[in-house]
Amino acid sequence: MGLLTNLKDSISRAASTLFSEEDPKRIGIYGPPNAGKTTLANRIARDWTGDAVGPESHVPHETRRARRKENVEIERDGKKVTIDIVDTPGVTTKVDYTEFLEHDMEKDDAVRRSREATEGVAEAMHWLREDVDGVIYVLDSATDPFTQVNTMLIGIIESQDLPVLILANKIDLEESSVQRIRNAYPQHETIPLSALEGDNMDEVYDKIAEYFG
Amino acid sequence: MPHQCTECGRGFDDGSKEMLSGCPNCGGNKFQYQPEGADISETPDAEPPEPPGPDSTVARTVGKTAASVRDFVSGSAADGDRPAEQSHLDADRAADSQPSDPSHTSGSPSTEPDRTSPTEDSAQASARGDIVEPDELPSDVPSASESEHQFRPVGADPDPPAEPDREDRPDLEELRAELNDQFESIKVLEPGQYELNLMELYDREEYIIALQEDGHYSIQVPETIRSE
Repeated sequence: MGLLTNLKDSISRAASTLFSEEDPKRIGIYGPPNAGKTTLANRIARDWTGDAVGPESHVPHETRRARRKENVEIERDGKKVTIDIVDTPGVTTKVDYTEFLEHDMEKDDAVRRSREATEGVAEAMHWLREDVDGVIYVLDSATDPFTQVNTMLIGIIESQDLPVLILANKIDLEESSVQRIRNAYPQHETIPLSALEGDNMDEVYDKIAEYFG
Repeated sequence: MPHQCTECGRGFDDGSKEMLSGCPNCGGNKFQYQPEGADISETPDAEPPEPPGPDSTVARTVGKTAASVRDFVSGSAADGDRPAEQSHLDADRAADSQPSDPSHTSGSPSTEPDRTSPTEDSAQASARGDIVEPDELPSDVPSASESEHQFRPVGADPDPPAEPDREDRPDLEELRAELNDQFESIKVLEPGQYELNLMELYDREEYIIALQEDGHYSIQVPETIRSE
């Protein structure tokens, strides 16, 4: 009886190891609105699958539902790393439709966008709780990284023991300061990049393979 | 100064009648009783010594409960420690029920909080012996039974500094707003304007999938998520 149980256990253990190796890791791309998450997700997806993930925009909260790109195979040093990329709506504590009115939007559309963005943040927070195996945290290096949202999210990610890669995006901008982000989160490695220009993407892929492979 | 106004910190003699119509300084009607030898802090919101962690609500509750139990168990000693409101209530009640016989009041052991105390200052003597002048009392003075009802919980509570918070905010709207701050995961300021409590959104089991204009939202219960 005991022998049978042991045998069953070892088989299921072997099976789960097998599956966990095959199952791509689900990597959530998190960060505040307009940090360049979708631009990065599209860059990664285009580089390795040829497809895009979703539309990019300079209007905040363009991404209002988490979008997933599955089975993105990234090749590093002859080794393949397969991940599912989840592009999430920008996380924020306040959503206000009047912000969108400045971008030539009708009030009804702005209100709807605002509502969808709020639902999107709720969704993103929920995914963070249960559905991601690792996080790419994207920050706009031209803005102040010391915000309540960033601190809280990175704290949550740390408390979950999720592997996290901090990306200092928009280094093509003059006001960019990667050091400011390094100073803000010294406990994590910060990789500079421009997702828009494709600068330093090689290092980003190296690190993705290292952290999430 | 055995009594201290919890609002402004003004001190009063033991049994002082001044407190009956509220603190003359600030109108506050909560007073902390400090037995002799106790260190009275000047700041009205100073914590009593019982709770070990003043910042911790749990610690405060435990400390408060422990103090209440100790006072309750220690019987006669607790009599002497009764807060100001209680002793004044006694004096007040005695004055109401026996207006023509002050000597009876001072002779009644059941209404004597200070009988066991060897020292009695003039304010205490006055509170026990004298009839309260009508102009010393607030105009809307409650009846004896009502005032008993009102004051008893305070008398049983050796931690008055916890009270002012509640006393200070009788406004239900404000209280509701404060509770919203603490418990809502999404606050709808008006359609299109939202405040999000990220920690709450992260912590909750169920998953908000759709917001409606009227402030309702649809949620997906965890079982549904698991079966997907």
